[in-house]
Amino acid sequence: MIKNIPKKPLPTLLSTIGIPFAIVFSIYSFLQIGFNLEDFRKNLQNRYIVTDPLFNPKWSWAIENASAALVETIQIAILASVVGCFIALPLSFYASRATNKNSFSYFLYKSFLNLVRTIPDLFWAMMFTVAVGLGPFAGVLALIMFSLAIMGKLLSETIDSIDPGPMEAAKATGGSHNQAIFTSALPQVLPNFTAYFLYIFELCIRASVILGLVGAGGVGRIIETQRIFLRFDRISPIVVLILVVVIGIEQFSVWLRRKIL
Amino acid sequence: MKIPQQPWQQNAFKYGITFLIVVSSIWSASGLEITLERIIDAPRQIGILVGAMFPLDLSDEALDRIIPKVWESLFIAWAGTVIGALFSFPISFLAANNTSTPFISRITKQILNAIRAFPELILAFVFLPITGLGPLTGTLAVGIHSIGTLGKLSSEVVEGIDEGPLEAIKASGGSKLNELTFGVIPQVIPTITSYWLYRFEINLRASAVLGVVGAGGVGAELINQLRFRDFPRAGTVLITTIILVLTVDTISAAIRKRIIQGKINKT
Repeated sequence: MIKNIPKKPLPTLLSTIGIPFAIVFSIYSFLQIGFNLEDFRKNLQNRYIVTDPLFNPKWSWAIENASAALVETIQIAILASVVGCFIALPLSFYASRATNKNSFSYFLYKSFLNLVRTIPDLFWAMMFTVAVGLGPFAGVLALIMFSLAIMGKLLSETIDSIDPGPMEAAKATGGSHNQAIFTSALPQVLPNFTAYFLYIFELCIRASVILGLVGAGGVGRIIETQRIFLRFDRISPIVVLILVVVIGIEQFSVWLRRKIL
Repeated sequence: MKIPQQPWQQNAFKYGITFLIVVSSIWSASGLEITLERIIDAPRQIGILVGAMFPLDLSDEALDRIIPKVWESLFIAWAGTVIGALFSFPISFLAANNTSTPFISRITKQILNAIRAFPELILAFVFLPITGLGPLTGTLAVGIHSIGTLGKLSSEVVEGIDEGPLEAIKASGGSKLNELTFGVIPQVIPTITSYWLYRFEINLRASAVLGVVGAGGVGAELINQLRFRDFPRAGTVLITTIILVLTVDTISAAIRKRIIQGKINKT
């Protein structure tokens, strides 16, 4: 027989406080949201307003009216992800401890990237539509901020974990700090950069679909106008078209990523 | 001295990709009618907008309107994450190929993929006529989308477990259920909990946006103030949202780090 069975460690402070708090907060949230089974059941009788047209898609209408907007959506995503990622490339080197020894400017760049990341993509879109006018340009600017923030975070964390050896070697042979970064740090993260770029491009395609809801161009504009009139028979084929495009582009980017890495 | 060169196929591939990116960017820029003047003018316009937001409108009336909406976004995000977590947890065992049969695993994965494909906003306005204007719609949209994403991530965690403990339980006569409760769940729970928190951070941003279609949360407030050109109040909405998101991100990141690293070593 085993004599000394080790005692189960006491639950940590985090779990003793955290778990009850999480449960209480969950119950409180559900109460605040006002889930009412009675109302829900009553409203469920309205479901035919949605489900009947939703499953009777008008394909010809959607293809005729939405294809141009769908192309616009793809263009917004391409342009925004390319520009956003290439702006983020130098910024990430400033926002990493490994390549920026000046702690003040490191802090500044890091906080800038964090701040950009806190604002949701559609909030950017709303603000840019006010600033530069309705249309796809506002959408492009919004998604540039969106991809800039994600790329900045992912890439600066990758740069944090690079092998410092090559940079030291470059400096030992007389290279300046910038030369060391360019010849030794950049090649190390370039494959990651490409992989992140493809990932962000996928996110941008998804995000650009809904930009039109606030007037920032793309296929969302058509969804929004049909949504107001509850024309779900026109929306559902558009959504299916979007899904086909999104999944197609994802498959392409998965193939490309495998080829590159 | 002969410096070894990269094989030409690799170079050709690289240049091909670069060419593709450049051409598609030019095609996009010309298709969207983005001219140089508009690009040059944009920073000035944005400056004017940001300038118009300050000083922020911090009157009691504005705060009484905005603060409850910000809280509502938080509740939507949390309740949505709870729905996502509760449903995705059992589903992830069905979707993982090592705890399920190949047939069920494949079907569940396809269902999860299909759920994940719909953005929250599209789910929200499909639910809107059924569940009404308000936070319930937003919660359902966020929750259902979370089932898709959390289900996928959790099933990948389950697939990556160490099989040793399972064999040990089997060898000592444990049933299939014992294997799950004593072998699989203790291994996956830290990672999956941290994914839940991570999803909560994402959902908070999503729920802030949902107000645009009337599904509750702070988004409605922002779009209305911008439409009525009440920029100081729009600025207040923006700043309060940023503060909330930053606070939640910081707390959640700290907890996630703590969960993943396990007990802090006191040295």
